[in-house]
Amino acid sequence: MARDVDGGAAGAGSDDSETATETASRPSGEQGRSVRTTIERRGVVGLAVATIALLLGIFYYPVATVFVDSVLVDGRWTAQVFVSILQDPFYFGELARLLSGEPVRAVIESIRSPDRRLGVIGFTTYQAALSTVASVALGLPAAYLLARFEFPGRRTLRSLTILPFVLPSIMVAVGFVATFGQNGTLNAVLGALGLGEVNLLFTLEAVVIAHAFYNAPLVARVTTAAWESVDASAVETARSLGASPLRAFRDVVAPQLVPSVLMGAALTFVFTFSTFPIVLALGGFQLATVEVFVYRLIRDLEYAEAAALALIELGISLGLLYAYLRYEARHTVQSRGIRPLPRRPLTPPSFSIRELLPRAGLAAYAVVALAVFVAPIASMVLASLSGPEGLTLANYRFLVDRQTTGASFQVQPWDAVRNSLLFGVASLAVALPMGVVVAVLTTRDYRGRKVVDAVAMAPLAVSGIVVGLGLLRGLVFGFEIGGTRLAVGGGLAIVAAHAVAGYPFVVRTVAPGLEGIDRTLVESARALGAPRARALLDIELPLVWPAVVAGAAFAFAISIGEFSATIVLASGTNQFTMPIAIERFIGRRLGPATAMGVVLLVVTSASFLLIDRLGGDDVGF
Amino acid sequence: MDRRSFLTAAGATVSASVAGCAGLGGGGEESSTDESTGTGTSTGDAGGADETLVVGTYSAFVDSPSTSPGAWVKQRFEEEFDARLIWQTPSNEVNHYIERRNAGVDIEADMYLGLNTDHLVRVDENLDDGLFAEVGDVAGQDDIKPGLQFDPDGRAIPYDTGYISLVFDGTATTAPETFDGLLADEHAGDLITQNPASSATGRAFLLHTVKQFGPDGYLDYWSDLQDNDVRVLGSWSDAYSAWSGGEAPMVVSYSTDQVFADRNDANMEKHQIRFLNDQGYANPEGMAVFEGADTPDLAREFMGFLLRPEIQGEIAVRNVQFPATESADLPADYAELAQEPPEPVTFGYDELRGSVSGWISDWERQFASN
Repeated sequence: MARDVDGGAAGAGSDDSETATETASRPSGEQGRSVRTTIERRGVVGLAVATIALLLGIFYYPVATVFVDSVLVDGRWTAQVFVSILQDPFYFGELARLLSGEPVRAVIESIRSPDRRLGVIGFTTYQAALSTVASVALGLPAAYLLARFEFPGRRTLRSLTILPFVLPSIMVAVGFVATFGQNGTLNAVLGALGLGEVNLLFTLEAVVIAHAFYNAPLVARVTTAAWESVDASAVETARSLGASPLRAFRDVVAPQLVPSVLMGAALTFVFTFSTFPIVLALGGFQLATVEVFVYRLIRDLEYAEAAALALIELGISLGLLYAYLRYEARHTVQSRGIRPLPRRPLTPPSFSIRELLPRAGLAAYAVVALAVFVAPIASMVLASLSGPEGLTLANYRFLVDRQTTGASFQVQPWDAVRNSLLFGVASLAVALPMGVVVAVLTTRDYRGRKVVDAVAMAPLAVSGIVVGLGLLRGLVFGFEIGGTRLAVGGGLAIVAAHAVAGYPFVVRTVAPGLEGIDRTLVESARALGAPRARALLDIELPLVWPAVVAGAAFAFAISIGEFSATIVLASGTNQFTMPIAIERFIGRRLGPATAMGVVLLVVTSASFLLIDRLGGDDVGF
Repeated sequence: MDRRSFLTAAGATVSASVAGCAGLGGGGEESSTDESTGTGTSTGDAGGADETLVVGTYSAFVDSPSTSPGAWVKQRFEEEFDARLIWQTPSNEVNHYIERRNAGVDIEADMYLGLNTDHLVRVDENLDDGLFAEVGDVAGQDDIKPGLQFDPDGRAIPYDTGYISLVFDGTATTAPETFDGLLADEHAGDLITQNPASSATGRAFLLHTVKQFGPDGYLDYWSDLQDNDVRVLGSWSDAYSAWSGGEAPMVVSYSTDQVFADRNDANMEKHQIRFLNDQGYANPEGMAVFEGADTPDLAREFMGFLLRPEIQGEIAVRNVQFPATESADLPADYAELAQEPPEPVTFGYDELRGSVSGWISDWERQFASN
């Protein structure tokens, strides 16, 4: 696959290497191909170059304009901003003393002492670790249910697992207060059962549960997919060799699930590491994370410290992603399941312990899932239907009134829905090819490809406000060439921000599939004369189609839910999306905002069902 | 045709070919092409019906779900002045204009409505060249209540003010009369306030404690408050919705709380106001004209218009704040519901400049230290 290596290298290189690749990929003695094959032959390289140029233009260059503030202070290059953050116990706790030159032993002692300081970054890491554990614990049983059991509505349920992803934090906060608050549903149920009250709000637990609400579905989705691609014959072979079901699971199934579980965990960690609105709405300022301070510093225009802090945050997240990618590279399962494990009916076929026990476990899990996932969403819907005098449609009437009589400078519900869908489709159209191309580039063999992979994942770990600010300065304000200012309109910048945030999901869903494809299939196609692009389109992509669809769903979801970059970039009400409309409709009463939240729920649920249906029956993620 | 609509039209065609659709229309009149940097060569002669005033403001002024004065003000102003009023509500508020000025990009608004003292401090600390021009003569300026003027350089003129106070549920507790009372055991876990770095009410409450205990003493007071389980949430709406949900009986909010409660026929017993130490922290909101505005004269006329008694009264009611002038025409029941503190307190521009970010940052470091 030497030519594939060249393709990857061309992507990372310049225009010169494109011609080099072209020459290299032309077998000697073969001349005079048709224009079509020339395009196909150069297609992958061309796409790679275009993708990299696009990434540089809409992500790396804009974001660099922000990050450069941390090292270029008042026109001078300096590392002072970083040094002072690294040595600041407020950010790094006891570790900061290490960085300011104190002896290792003394620092280790103080870390082991009970009154150690974690620092903001230490605490952020701690809560992200807890949130990750909670998300995995809540996500795995859901994956077990979705992958191993058959029941009516299973596909719909699987499509909807992506929903929490798009819910704006304010809606989640409303739902959580109504569910877990002092006067919430949980306490009402506990009271009715004669159990004591719990007060979860304003605690770390509340934040961790909310993070699990957002991320457990992600873990469930990726794990379900891995479980569904376990080859049944391998399990049957193990069983026929005398392995107990438990043993067969441990030796055959589990090793194939672990990479996916770890991927879900790594993504959860990265997301919860850069969390902020949920912490301040449900926990309180004493639980402030790094991102809270990044936001504050940007708001006060203290860009040097803000950028340095955001870079440190990015470094930690990227380090973790890199570690995961290294692991993934060593543990890819070649040639995936041809025959998936048969699903069992949810109603037990017999009343043996072996049949009843897992179902009893799932029933217990269902109770927890109802409390964590369903109750907050139901509370939100209920809040949208409530007024001072009980049930009312007044909040929905507000939406209709605003649409029909609102002024042009006010946010109008339908326009927000339309903009969300437009931006969603447009960013999907950009993110999907980008993601596929990056996935192709990162599944070829060359040195340092995990570094390339990690760099390509960077948008996952850069906070939306940094991306937004970078795009604002780099593209919307534009730059002058010969006295003319070239600039990109707010709408296009929003699509760029959404596409950049969404394509890593396409990469992460498509790449493992591409890696798992039997190489001989592609090699035969190439040997028979198919150009690289045609092999990709005709052989590889159809084989991983469910993963492509899954990536598309994620990219679309990211676009629908994105808030912070959009609000920085939107230059008028005609660019406001559903999450922004929700934020604008918040007043003394949350009614109108919750009604808009329900509109978002309905519109996005319908979209996900539609997207998943396009994937056929074997939708991967 | 005045310069701006020409630019908009020209910008639309040029930028469409360069970069696709810019966000035209609506609240944002963004033209994607500019004639070099904002040198502000206003034509000044564009009198008559064509004249356009672009006013930047915060979104709640024109677009809150209950009531907001924006649409009404626009209609009245356009009827009378034969001019077009365009509201612009950038989500970064004043930062949007600071960013543009810093980047050398033309500022497309003539004036800004909704400046706080600390906005002005931020503007001056981050821009060497001014963002706002000295305002000069504006009709009705003499009617402004003494003590609300917050700009020593005469750029910003107040048009309304809020007083930050405690709002408490009288069926669940009785709020203490003093700051020290908040430290009593019986009020443990009773108070919700907001992050002073990102919320106007949270910031006002923090500044009130600085006023009360001094820059050397406020951190000790907060340490005691923290021991008594005060909750600091992110935004006013986070705090207010947690309070409405019964999570705690007291919240830091506005002393106009009952105006809203009354509109929704809420139980007034649940919406009680308390001014700690008989003081309320005043948060005046001002307006100022951008340097290089296209229509500075029209902007000044607009300011005078806003200070008229009948307009002041209407803005107060619709924005649920107090008028800035003594002469405002307020409805009879407004005074019953909206309470003014016996003693308004506030920090002036000179006291905040150079201090406010330090106070907040010190507070953050103490409160969130893990």
